[in-house]
Amino acid sequence: MSGLSDVVRTAKSILTGHGITLKEFFREPVTVRYPQEKIEYPRGVRGIPSQKVNPETGDLNCTACGLCARACPVGVITVEAMVGPDGKKMQYPAKYELDYTRCLVCNLCVEACPFDALEMSDMTELSSFSSEDLVFDRDRLAEIWKRSHAARIAGGEKI
Amino acid sequence: MLELAAGQGGMPDWLWNFILAALKATGVLAFAMASAGLLTWVERKVAARIQRRRGPEVVGGPWGVLQPLADGVKLFAKEDVMPRAVDRWVWALAPSVIFFPVIMVFLVIPLDPKFGALRDLNIALVYLAAVTSFTVLGIFMAGWGSNNKYSLIGAMRAIAMIVSYEIPLVLSVVGVVLAAGSLSLVDIVEAQDEMWFIIPQFLGFVVFYIASLAELNRTPFDLVTGESEIVMGYLTEYSGIRAGLMIFSEYIGLLATSLVAASLFLGGWHGPFGTDSVVWLLLKAFFLVFVAMWIRWTLPRLRIDQVMNLGWKFLLPVSIANVVLTGAWIMVR
Ligand code: SF4
Ligand code: SF4
Repeated sequence: MSGLSDVVRTAKSILTGHGITLKEFFREPVTVRYPQEKIEYPRGVRGIPSQKVNPETGDLNCTACGLCARACPVGVITVEAMVGPDGKKMQYPAKYELDYTRCLVCNLCVEACPFDALEMSDMTELSSFSSEDLVFDRDRLAEIWKRSHAARIAGGEKI
Repeated sequence: MLELAAGQGGMPDWLWNFILAALKATGVLAFAMASAGLLTWVERKVAARIQRRRGPEVVGGPWGVLQPLADGVKLFAKEDVMPRAVDRWVWALAPSVIFFPVIMVFLVIPLDPKFGALRDLNIALVYLAAVTSFTVLGIFMAGWGSNNKYSLIGAMRAIAMIVSYEIPLVLSVVGVVLAAGSLSLVDIVEAQDEMWFIIPQFLGFVVFYIASLAELNRTPFDLVTGESEIVMGYLTEYSGIRAGLMIFSEYIGLLATSLVAASLFLGGWHGPFGTDSVVWLLLKAFFLVFVAMWIRWTLPRLRIDQVMNLGWKFLLPVSIANVVLTGAWIMVR
């Protein structure tokens, strides 16, 4: 009789399901209590783009060529070259601003930079009470890079 | 039942009875509200653990047990929104009409071997069937009074389901009644001294449990609400304390049904080694509550036609067969 075997099959599958959920019930939760507990980010995670600093000279790699500003799909980067004593533009940024409120964290600026001056940092906790606070200037971007770089080296990453 | 009545300390009988009734009612209400609050927390914890989460734990108390208090305060503090299109009285009364029948179930539940039930009616099961049918009225009032198609469809589904599952539900109890020879819950519990009725009445228990899940609109029969099709069903237009009352009635209903099931099939207050007491009843009831939650986080929901098929084509014949078999067994014995 197919009716009876249907009943048996249904009962069996229901009991199997309950076995699985009961097993899960007694397993340790995987939740991370986020603000109190943190996980290590995997390699290559993308936070805000940051300005690389030359460890020997302490200068930025950036030459103020402006290619990152052109590459940025939302145009949040503003670059202005430093003006030397002779009135000519120097190959160093006087102003480098990144408006993080609209940044997509897309990595295109990093890819566009011909001088290896940018890197995606591991800084993701960037919430703030004012939007002005989220416009990062040259020195803050360099600071972010230093911190993120140090953390990556401490994490055993070979750079 | 304690026969405390008759002229306590020179008080007239009616006054004493009145005070006694008020005390009992307060006790039941307090117990029901407290345990419903606890159950909302338990449900969230069980759900979380089955999904390998932690569930609420930030609000306070061990494992976040104070969460229901915070939720309650929030619901009380909410603005009491009454949509303009609703049928005022019908809509406003519906939560109470849903709430009170569930509370009334507690009246006949046998608590303790010495104490008996709050009121040992000799037709307790008939009383239960009658009282719980009121919920249908409340649900229909909520659906109709909301003046909204989602509420109405949700209410119609709930009513169709409750009305059809009432039949197997009552029939599944008939086996127990035949075996115990009484309609009083206290007598039924006493008749389980030797053996819990879940053993001779296993079919009856299965039918009773499935049908009562349907009566409570719990998963897999929770199709009266469905965010993607009918929003919250008949709850759609309710907010704040009214919604809170309706959600509370669902949890109190779950507890009440589990208490009834524990008394009918799991031996009520009977425990091993002569430790019969109300603790056993509560343990068994809370176990059944846990099973209901376990089912909720395991099984997917049924469609309305599948629900009807299960009720009429499976549970009804099975429960009738159970009655016939029990009758035959009693005749042969
Ligand atoms: S990450 Fe993308 S959006 Fe952000 S600054 Fe770079 S190019 Fe622009
Ligand atoms: S960061 Fe790179 S691309 Fe952007 S201005 Fe500097 S050197 Fe040019």
